[in-house]
Amino acid sequence: MDLSGGFGARSGGGVPFREVTALESLHLGGGDEFRRMVPPENAGGFTALLELPPTQAVELLHSSSSSSPSQPTLHSLGTLAFPSNSVLMERAARFSVIATEQHNQNGNVSGETTTTSSVPSNERIKTEPAETETCDQAAVEEQNNRCGGKRKDFDKKVKSSTKKKNKSSEESEKLPYVHVRARRGQATDSHSLAERARREKINARMKLLQELVPGCDKIQGTALVLDEIINHVQSLQRQVEMLSMRLASVNPRIDFNLDTILASENGSLMDGNFNGTAMQLAWPHQVMETEQSYHHRQLQQPPPQQWPFDGLNQPVWGREEDQDLGNDHNSLMVGAANLHPNQVKMEL
Amino acid sequence: MASADKPINTDVPEKDVFALHFLQSLSNLRRQNTFNSPEKTNDRVKKIKKAAYVSMARAAGGTSRLWSRALLRRAAKETNKVVRFSRRKKRVTWLRRRSNRRDPVEEEEKEAERLRNLVPGGGAMETSKLIEETAYYIKCLSMQVKVMQCLVDGLSPK
Repeated sequence: MDLSGGFGARSGGGVPFREVTALESLHLGGGDEFRRMVPPENAGGFTALLELPPTQAVELLHSSSSSSPSQPTLHSLGTLAFPSNSVLMERAARFSVIATEQHNQNGNVSGETTTTSSVPSNERIKTEPAETETCDQAAVEEQNNRCGGKRKDFDKKVKSSTKKKNKSSEESEKLPYVHVRARRGQATDSHSLAERARREKINARMKLLQELVPGCDKIQGTALVLDEIINHVQSLQRQVEMLSMRLASVNPRIDFNLDTILASENGSLMDGNFNGTAMQLAWPHQVMETEQSYHHRQLQQPPPQQWPFDGLNQPVWGREEDQDLGNDHNSLMVGAANLHPNQVKMEL
Repeated sequence: MASADKPINTDVPEKDVFALHFLQSLSNLRRQNTFNSPEKTNDRVKKIKKAAYVSMARAAGGTSRLWSRALLRRAAKETNKVVRFSRRKKRVTWLRRRSNRRDPVEEEEKEAERLRNLVPGGGAMETSKLIEETAYYIKCLSMQVKVMQCLVDGLSPK
């Protein structure tokens, strides 16, 4: 990458001040860090890298470029104010914090922490191994605020794989990325971690679906389960279509009944009238059963203007289900019939 | 990978909510003059079907679910209505782009593609979100089927 090449050239220039040592140490790990920080899929190269920590990278580059102004590659970056030494050291320390988060096994960590020991961000590095959540949040929030929201893949905290933690600690609402503990004996590459977290989420939801769809418990393997689910969804949609066709064919009779109901509604609500129209409705066997219930319900009806749907719904369903225990259809229909004319009344 | 594992909520409203919405839409349909002419059964079927889906989307929580939003938007497009949805963060599309680029090779993603074609609004969701929405969609669909079955049973001559 250009970056590592540039760094190498400049540090080899032998400019004698302290920042160079920091930069050098950064470079030792820095080239690798930066290379790994660029995800393979977003490999836009140098510009992709620059996207990530824009201000910091540019500052760093430019700070070293001002020492050796003959570097043509950096002219395009423009002239920035040369940061003071302390600020630079702080920034370098932050880079090392990033580095420690990603690669704890490399020897780079020790190298970088020693060089940046004089920097106020020391406490951040020290609390890293302590693994307290608040400190993680502080460090990580810093970077997040600085670097924008595109670091979803990179900002995984990988603790050493010797920790046999089976849970993955996830920060839920505050930060947009996940801190995952690596399990024993598994790869700690950030990409495979992301992959694994994703897999776990997907598998958890698949289990949910399996419970929903009848007959999916026995099947092993996600592909077959998905097949079942797709079939189920398709069958449900086909059922909706069939039922709507049947409804359409039944429809004219509904109209007739509704018209009569409407006519009676215009006159008055709580009448024998309604009862009469109820008789006219073409519901065959239910009418006998439900005549009494109609009566009951009408006596208890509140005036239509103040009719709260929800308030009426619950008692209607409840009573109906007490009466017809095995007959869901009846309960629905009776309730529906009651709902409908009142509804119409409200619309009028 | 974003978001922790909050408990997934797949509770669906009760049957009467669905029944209510569906009957409302049906009564609205009946008010239209062209509806009752006996010749154009196909139109009626389509309208009833559309009313069923729209009422299901409304009953299931309006615009708070991705698939219901997609359904409503689709329906509104046909009738040239303007639908307003409250804005949410646009993180979803970014995730979708990422997974889309990487995953078509995998076996599972082919299945997910089929699922996406089935579930409304599926093209804009990442796989895990898709599965969650599918679960909710299946529940709502079965509820709607029950409601319609009851209606048809009640109204058909014996």
